Amino acid sequence: MSPVDPDLLSIENLSVVIRRPGREVAALSDVTLRVGRGEVVGLVGESGGGKSMVARSIVGLLPGGSHATGAVRFEGDDVLRMDDDALRRHRGHGAAICFQNPRGALSPTRTVGRQLTDRLITHQRLTETEARRAAEEQFAAVGIRSPRRRLGAYPHELSGGMAQRVMISLATGCAPGLLIADEPTTGLDVTLTREILRQFRHAADTDGRGVLLISHDLASVADVCDRVVVLYAGTVVESGPAARVLGRPAHPYTRALLRSVPDVDGRAVVATPGAMPLLKAAPRECPFAPRCAHATAECSVDRPLPTPVPGATDEWSLACFHPRTDELAFEEPAATPARATAAERAVLEVDDAHVVYRSRFGKGGHAALRGVSLRVAAGETLGVVGESGCGKSTLAKLLLGLVPAARGDVRVAGSRMSDLRGRELRRLRTRVQMVFQDPIGSLSPRRTVAEAIAEPLRALGLPAAQRAERVAAVADRLKIDRSMLARHPHELSGGQAQRVCIARALAGEPDVLVFDEPTSALDVTVQAQILDVIADVVRDPSRGSVFISHDLATVRGFADRVIVLYLGRIVEEGPVEEVFGRPRHPYTRALLSSAPSLGSGFSGPKVTLTEDLDDTEAAATGCPLAARCPFAADRCRTEEQQLRPHGTAQVACWRVPEIPDLLKGSDIRV
Amino acid sequence: MPEVMPETVVVGAARAGRFATVLIVTGSAILAVVALAAIVAPLLTGWGPTEIDPLGTLVPPGPGHPLGTDANGMDVWSRLLYAGRLDLGIAVAGVAAAVVAGTALGLVAGYLGGWVDDVLMRVVDVFQAFPTFILALAVAALVGNGTGNLIAVIAAVNAPAYARLVRAEVRTVRESSFVAASVTSGASTFGVLWRHVLPNSLTPVRVIAPLNAGWAMLTLAGLSFLGLGVTVPAAEWGAMISLGSPDVVAGRWWTSVPPGLVLLICVLGFSLLGEGLQERAEAKRR
Repeated sequence: MSPVDPDLLSIENLSVVIRRPGREVAALSDVTLRVGRGEVVGLVGESGGGKSMVARSIVGLLPGGSHATGAVRFEGDDVLRMDDDALRRHRGHGAAICFQNPRGALSPTRTVGRQLTDRLITHQRLTETEARRAAEEQFAAVGIRSPRRRLGAYPHELSGGMAQRVMISLATGCAPGLLIADEPTTGLDVTLTREILRQFRHAADTDGRGVLLISHDLASVADVCDRVVVLYAGTVVESGPAARVLGRPAHPYTRALLRSVPDVDGRAVVATPGAMPLLKAAPRECPFAPRCAHATAECSVDRPLPTPVPGATDEWSLACFHPRTDELAFEEPAATPARATAAERAVLEVDDAHVVYRSRFGKGGHAALRGVSLRVAAGETLGVVGESGCGKSTLAKLLLGLVPAARGDVRVAGSRMSDLRGRELRRLRTRVQMVFQDPIGSLSPRRTVAEAIAEPLRALGLPAAQRAERVAAVADRLKIDRSMLARHPHELSGGQAQRVCIARALAGEPDVLVFDEPTSALDVTVQAQILDVIADVVRDPSRGSVFISHDLATVRGFADRVIVLYLGRIVEEGPVEEVFGRPRHPYTRALLSSAPSLGSGFSGPKVTLTEDLDDTEAAATGCPLAARCPFAADRCRTEEQQLRPHGTAQVACWRVPEIPDLLKGSDIRV
Repeated sequence: MPEVMPETVVVGAARAGRFATVLIVTGSAILAVVALAAIVAPLLTGWGPTEIDPLGTLVPPGPGHPLGTDANGMDVWSRLLYAGRLDLGIAVAGVAAAVVAGTALGLVAGYLGGWVDDVLMRVVDVFQAFPTFILALAVAALVGNGTGNLIAVIAAVNAPAYARLVRAEVRTVRESSFVAASVTSGASTFGVLWRHVLPNSLTPVRVIAPLNAGWAMLTLAGLSFLGLGVTVPAAEWGAMISLGSPDVVAGRWWTSVPPGLVLLICVLGFSLLGEGLQERAEAKRR
């Protein structure tokens, strides 16, 4: 019956329509893809493209109301038509899935060791002691330090990276033939992302396992994938070897995706207008046509089907009538005109600020910021980068007056925040406005768009008629359609909501705008559109901006100056070209080294930190990075480091002069 | 290569969201009928609720008295109709008062936190330390009979639960970024509470309140049954059941079974309504 050596996984013409009362969604239309043994296949595209639906179909978990046609063959057997017993064997043994949110997917009341040994005992029929030993090996294999101790941990005791490692060990625990990873690195730092993705590559290289890696992050998957499949609106638009598809893409959508991603090499982002449609039925025309610059009449009449590219010998195929053959050209980074900031008006000054979160019981507390000083002049944009937990969000809260400074102070347009109370404090607060990470969550669900934008104006005491006028003006500036003003947040897409949030921040003409990861919750092409909006907004000469992000590439595109935070301290500060082009602190260099890149990336010797941030016990004395730094010497562990000028930058590391030599040495870990 | 099978594989049908609507409509319809009957009672009966038929006590159902008369010679049908005014009115007003008071407490305690929260919640603890009905009995005995007092009793025993419910909700909502956005937009504490925190903390209250009104009717009827409710001879279902209970043993069912049934139907109506609202809230979350 079944062919002699079938592919591990072969999806053939899979179409899924989800029918629910009152709504119908064509989630997948004629999707064909395959994963071989020992192969890592990347499934990329924006949310709503059908990536997760493919994953669910492989483990037989299509949502209720799904109508599926086609076949999902796993080692020759069709998963869609398996009975319950066969499905149970298939899940775990055949194909296992790593979920996006590992902490949500782990049972909170059982230790992670118990969860793994339970699986081993049921599926592999091991005894209790064998299972424990196997579990310990599994934990060690995914890079968990002191695995024996971690077996007894509960999920809430683990950091995000650790939880994802546990999730991988759970998925690989029963030696499945296929490992599916659904956005495994969302919400993880760059340093961890690399490490986790390496685990998947490792999983494919051992035991001839197939890996299907689902991601919206093209740059990250580029390194580890053998082949890439690009989905758009439930259809496969391009597939082929990773180097080919991501390096010399021919489909306009793939090209748009790649152009939308900011890169640490500083190239300019090109935004594609529009958003992905939610289809009610399988498309009859090219679904990308309305957004495509190369679309002709033919594209809106007929749907191009995936066909092998003529002359390609490597399974490169695409669904387009007008494939692009030219090299994907990137504009050179726009040279930012050097601004003389020193003489200009400072709109925001922070002087030696400390923030301590006190624990409710007992005395202790957690110092989130330890002596941060910064200054933002009108017309200037300050970038703030660092791993999660380094104090970025606390800094944002401090600037907005949402947390008090235990020591030091914050001055906005010359007024000290801690001096003011009541109405005056509220007035001053309107001078600093923030754009939040989660655009929909930062809009009150029961207030309309117009009411949201008018919020700061209400605090200024403007009468209703003037408020409406200002709201209309700012909406026009951000290209928010007037008809959208009466809508509620749940009726907006992520990109629209973020425009509204930026409009709200701008409405009261503040002195300082704080952007806290404003695009990290958005899809790639929408992200590029919002970055365009932000780039326009931060150019206003009358106000200063602070741009906080863990994504160094995004910061590079905007900031004039940048500060690098590590465990509540500034470790390096300076003009953006200087810090990104000639990083002096080992931490900055390590961040840049692990930043994913589709372009030339960070050139120069790379540095890898020796441990995850979460494993590090905060040292009481000395340099906070000492435990992770490959160049740490005894002096680092005993001596507190202060910012000292090096060129146009300031760096808190005494070894800066020696580092170029150290980098040439053998102790670089790549 | 095996042929691709043409037929469609269907995965379990999605549960219809219409179920919630059916529940809500049925519950509301039941309550509307009872309320309407109580309002237009004078059109449906010739007798007043406390009017005594001089010609007979305990007359079985028949022409003139569709549900007979009770031991005092009052027409059961008309008392049944008029009682709806008191029962529904007190239950709804009492629960409404409980919602307003409890929400205000919960809002302040949850948003401000600290010692304000501690003090308010300890008071709530004291109220919740007693079984609801015992507390109702105690308060009713303390304040005495009368419509206004009964509303106060219902409000007092139910408000603590709303305070807790709203407080828990507020503590989640106040951490959301739209509240932070409002604070940093210079809004006053009252403005943040009124415009953002309150409207987004009421979902569970909307579900619980109708169910609560059903229980409140039972509490009220229970109080009246024990003689702590409305002043005799006012028409009230609990009091009617109490008055008629000796007759049931003697085979004269018409004095206490009809008020019991009506009470049951009303509580059912409130339950269906609450159930439906919950169903709808869950469907929205999915």
